Amino acid sequence: MTAAVFYVLAALVVLSALMVVALKNLFHCALFLAVAMFGVSGVFLFLGSEFLAAVQVLIYVGAVTILVIFGIMLTRNVMDEKTPARNSQVGLSLLVAASFLLVTLFAVAQSVFQWTNQPTGPGVPPPSAIMNDVYALGPALILPSNGFAFAFEFVSILLLSALVGAIVIARKDPS
Amino acid sequence: MNAVPIVHFLYLAAILFSIGLFGVLTRKNALSVLMGVELMLNAVNINFLAFGKYWGSASLPGQVFVVFVITIAAAEAAVALAIVISIYRQWRNVNVDEIHALRG
Repeated sequence: MTAAVFYVLAALVVLSALMVVALKNLFHCALFLAVAMFGVSGVFLFLGSEFLAAVQVLIYVGAVTILVIFGIMLTRNVMDEKTPARNSQVGLSLLVAASFLLVTLFAVAQSVFQWTNQPTGPGVPPPSAIMNDVYALGPALILPSNGFAFAFEFVSILLLSALVGAIVIARKDPS
Repeated sequence: MNAVPIVHFLYLAAILFSIGLFGVLTRKNALSVLMGVELMLNAVNINFLAFGKYWGSASLPGQVFVVFVITIAAAEAAVALAIVISIYRQWRNVNVDEIHALRG
């Protein structure tokens, strides 16, 4: 029963991603991008990470899509209906993307995941005990004993400098 | 919740990544290219979480990596949109095929 929900979600994600790539109107593309991100957050719920599903909705649906829509509105009237939305490499790109997809699907299908659907084993705690646990994520990011503290602080500095840099790049020249 | 085997998550991620790749390769508008990149990043996140969940005891690093990927994606989106707006001011154009002032 829950598996059926996953396949509906996956179909929703794939269809809206196709719409993002296929549609000509950029505004519709951005709206379908929001739908796809929402579906991906549902997939995150299936993978047992409620916190990241909420983060996905907040950041992608709430922030990145709005940012893209602002960008589309600020650069309006540049792509009118007469100019084609695609470059001259559609056939080659289709070949590249399709071959990548086929190779990846073949590799995944040929791989043997011994722990598939067997997350419980001798000495392995059941996934419900470790997943579904927001309380485990915070200490893992902050405590120095877990090894992620330096990367966490580093990515904080990176985000801050990227945002300051974005403001500097986008502002008008004070001439 | 374990009714879905891991390979189906991996299939979904591969399909999503290929769709994003096609969009990045073919679109002319820089904002469309950015949307394709976001699709590819989300496919990678699905892969991280799928492997993290089915790995068992080492599941937490998958979630931590997704936190980092989302953070970098947010920074990338902000910087990319700032560059697009700056380019639009300069050239009145956001077509990635025609902006080649840095070509050698």
